[in-house]
Amino acid sequence: MHIKHHPVLGKRLSETVTFYFQDQPYTAYRGQTVAAALMANGIKKLGLSRKLLQPRGLFCARGRCCSCYMTVNGEDHVRTCLIKVEEGMKVYPNLEDPEVTNDGHGD
Amino acid sequence: MAMETDVLIIGAGPAGLAAAFELASRGLEVTLVDESAAAGGQLVQQTQLIRSLPAPFQPMRGFALAEALTKRLAALPVRYLLGHRMIGLYRDGSVGVADEANVFPLKARKIVVATGAAENAVPFPKWTLPGIITIGAAQTLINRDFVRPGKHAVIVGSSDFAVDVALQLADVGVNIKAVVERQSALLARDAEKVAQLKQSGIPTYVNAAVKEARGKGEVAEIDIQLSERVITEHVDLVCLDGGRSPVLEACYQLGCSFGYQQELGGWLPQYNKRLQTDREDVFLAGNAAGISTQGVVLATGMIAGVSVCEALRVIGGEEAERLRSALWKELEVLETTLFPEVWQARLRHMDNFGNPLLKEQFIS
Repeated sequence: MHIKHHPVLGKRLSETVTFYFQDQPYTAYRGQTVAAALMANGIKKLGLSRKLLQPRGLFCARGRCCSCYMTVNGEDHVRTCLIKVEEGMKVYPNLEDPEVTNDGHGD
Repeated sequence: MAMETDVLIIGAGPAGLAAAFELASRGLEVTLVDESAAAGGQLVQQTQLIRSLPAPFQPMRGFALAEALTKRLAALPVRYLLGHRMIGLYRDGSVGVADEANVFPLKARKIVVATGAAENAVPFPKWTLPGIITIGAAQTLINRDFVRPGKHAVIVGSSDFAVDVALQLADVGVNIKAVVERQSALLARDAEKVAQLKQSGIPTYVNAAVKEARGKGEVAEIDIQLSERVITEHVDLVCLDGGRSPVLEACYQLGCSFGYQQELGGWLPQYNKRLQTDREDVFLAGNAAGISTQGVVLATGMIAGVSVCEALRVIGGEEAERLRSALWKELEVLETTLFPEVWQARLRHMDNFGNPLLKEQFIS
């Protein structure tokens, strides 16, 4: 749920954006991170753990725990607690290890 | 594309920003690297009033302090590399910096590591279920993202930080069903905050621990072991307050030696009164130099800044010593007021400078 009137900070959310989670449209506000925007829409399960395939969600919101990795605009393993939601963004849960392709980068 | 700077500060939180002011206000060119999109570190989402700060700061709320720290740097020679990370070292000592797409070398005459702290988990069966988050994450969601992370919550732990966030969550309409503390009394030292918590009607359980969480896909229930019985709370949010530990990766890569002080958060780089590590061109500031309060975090940033100015001969040794000893006196007052055992650990840690527990362990 979005906080429209914050008791200390007042009204900060103004410009809405539409983003897509598993191809379904959701409303968020500019400035929110992807993980937070999903939580505001009641989506807490952001993916599955790599080994035991257990549900994972946002944990630290600091970019350290890696529990909120998702696929964003075609890129795997994005820390969704650090990146801001954008208009038209396409977000999918990471349900398995990404297919690692060797295109010459990172050698 | 090599970038050059007088001083590289890794981390643009309160310690890094305080160090930057000491350096840039004396004419040094400073580069701040931080992986967040904004400067200010964790202060950005802190709405609580921060009372004990070093001069020249007055008591203010965390986000206002973050604004004040960045505002006074506006006209100074400071370059921000936000959304950037230090990812390693080049052979010539340049630091590798990445912006998610590119990596480039950054050559600095001196480095200040101000990487802050990370929250520790509190493990119990099913603690990894979605909806179970750190206390800091809860604060970030409500005050940075303006998102209510749940309707019914249990807070596990009772430090000053946990009590602050419990009250902030209640203020945005989260029903706090319990604060659970393993020890025999609440850990928060701020009597006013504890009184506020008691007044709010939030039940507090001491000598209590979480037995297990349950839920399908996300947390739905949590069992709390009290001394004689187990209670079950129906929740969609659990906030864990496991304390914090210094963030050390940058120090591993830079080859600093380490010691261990439980009260300062566990493992941390060795440093002397200059907040200088045994890698002579690397200095420390903030929670990376030991977990403490925001006031102490600022004071250590200032001490590191003064010491780097001295090392780069921007100020003389006598002046540096005078400034530094005044700052250490102020730091001692700030730290001993609430956490005397942390100050004692800090003194022990500095005494151990010449006898680190880990040295050259991380050079491969």
